[in-house]
This record gives sequence, structure tokens and C-alpha cells, in this order.
Amino acid sequence: MSQSRQISVSKNGVPVIAIVALAMIFATGLFVVGFDQGHIFSLVYGEEAFHDIYIHELTHDMRHAAGFPCH
Amino acid sequence: MKTFLFIVIVIASGAAAGLIHGGANLIFVEPSLDQAIGIENQHLFASGEEKDTPEFRAQYDDYRIWQKSGQVFAGVILGVSIGSLFGIVFALSRNSLPGKTDIKKALVLAGIMWLTIYFIPFLKYPANPPTVGNPETIVLREILYLTFIAISGFGAVGFYKLSQKLKTKKIIAIAGYAAFIGIVFVAMPGNPDQITTPMDLVEHFRMMSAFTVSLYWLSLGLILGSLWNHYKPHKEITPSFN
Ligand SMILES: [Zn+2]
Repeated sequence: MSQSRQISVSKNGVPVIAIVALAMIFATGLFVVGFDQGHIFSLVYGEEAFHDIYIHELTHDMRHAAGFPCH
Repeated sequence: MKTFLFIVIVIASGAAAGLIHGGANLIFVEPSLDQAIGIENQHLFASGEEKDTPEFRAQYDDYRIWQKSGQVFAGVILGVSIGSLFGIVFALSRNSLPGKTDIKKALVLAGIMWLTIYFIPFLKYPANPPTVGNPETIVLREILYLTFIAISGFGAVGFYKLSQKLKTKKIIAIAGYAAFIGIVFVAMPGNPDQITTPMDLVEHFRMMSAFTVSLYWLSLGLILGSLWNHYKPHKEITPSFN
């Protein structure tokens, strides 16, 4: 009975792929709530997004409430 | 480890704790935000940039409702984000965390992370309501805050690893970290902005903000710990015949 596992794991037995996926979620979420000033929409809508800053408006109250620097 | 189950548990606990955080903010923090933005509006009326008309009021109310709905939405995003970091650290450190159950282990880790990457940075760079921040210093303030959090977080991990390597007691690692972060605390420049907003409003906002963020960390530890205890994602997958 052989157990063929090819998932690479760290020495604690945690799959590297899971760590990478969660690290990406961490970085993206933190940026969106804590720091985005229209960058994400600007990928789709161009420069105009910086004027409307939708994500900023929507995450704005949480940004203050969670202690991130703002206006 | 069951990879998929692990990721699902981490995201679910982050989202649930984030929902609690966003909901608590609606109750505890929004009144301060409304007050602070009210002061901002008074400045706009005084300077003649806006007029205090029913149209302005209507537009402003719509805008605030939109922003408040975002409080809960952003709570979930931030909750999942911070929860992901918590999940990574928990999975990597679970074997060396004190406590017999996963709930106790998760609560211990939540407490450590709350202290090192939230509360100590909060003492150095406390949260501010709207109208306090100067738009010209926003990038500097963001860099200072992130840098301090990173130094504190990596510092805590570093002293822990060092004490493991040197086989010293945990208390030595804690003392080392305390001395280290104390020096960084004094050495880093403070928030450059002058506060002209009434101090009791600012203080009240800070207390409420710290309360709901702390509630988030407590919920996160409890929920992730309970889910982990129940589903045990660290157990190996039983070998299958194929
Ligand atoms: Zn703001």
C-alpha cells in the first residue's frame, strides 16, 4: 500500500500551496481595505477611477474604524 | 493536512469574525464617524465651499448610507484578509502553542497577534476619526504605520525563533521582544498631524475602535479554534487504494 503524495509541504506538514494562497488573500484584502485609492478599478476603467474612488468610498468607514491612516 | 478543508475553515472564520467586526462598528463606531463628518461639513459651510441646503443634506445622507453599508462589506474583506494571516501562523505554530484544545491554542495566538500587530502599533499610532488627517501626509502616515506593524510582528517571530535556537525560556524571548519594541516605539517618529478636532470626540472614537478590533480578534480565535477542533484539518488524509 503506497501513499503517493506529491503536494509539497513545509516541515510542519502545512501545504505550501495553502500558505501561498492565503498569503495572497491576506495581501489583497489588506490593500483593498487599508490602502486602495482607486488602483484596482483603474485597471479596468483607467484614470477616471482615481477620481471616483469607489472602493475607497465603500471601505472608507472601516478604514478609520480599524485604525488605518486616512483623512 | 487536508488542504482544501484548511483553507475553507480559515476563510469562513475570517469572514464570520469580520461580519461581527463590521456589525459592531455600525453600533459603536459610526456615531463618532457621523459626528466627525458633521464637523467637516460645518467647515465646508463656513468656508463657502458648500451650502447647507436640503439638496446637500439629501445627497449627504445617501452618501453616508452607502458608506455605512460598506462598513459591513469591508468588515468581511478585512476579516478574511487578517484571518488568512492568522490561519497561516496558526497552522505553522499549532504544535508549539500552549493549551490542550485547539480553541485554547487559537485564543493564545489571537492574543499574541492582537498585542504585537494591533495593540502596540495602536498605542504608537492611534486611530483617528475623519477630519483629523492631513491629506498631504497620508503616504508618510501609511508607511510609518505599516513599518511599525511589520517590525513588531517580525520582531516577535524573531525573538521566539532565537529563544528556540538557544533553548532559553520563553520569558527571555518575551523580555527581549519587550526591550526591542520599546526602543522602536521611542525611536520611530510620531504621527505628524496636528489634532484640531475636539479631543473628547477623538478619544471616544479611539476607545470604540479599539474595542471592536479587539472583539474581532477574540471572535477570530474562538471561531477558528472551534472549527479546527471540530473538523481537525491537520489530520492526515487516510490513504486510499488507487
Ligand atoms: Zn477618511
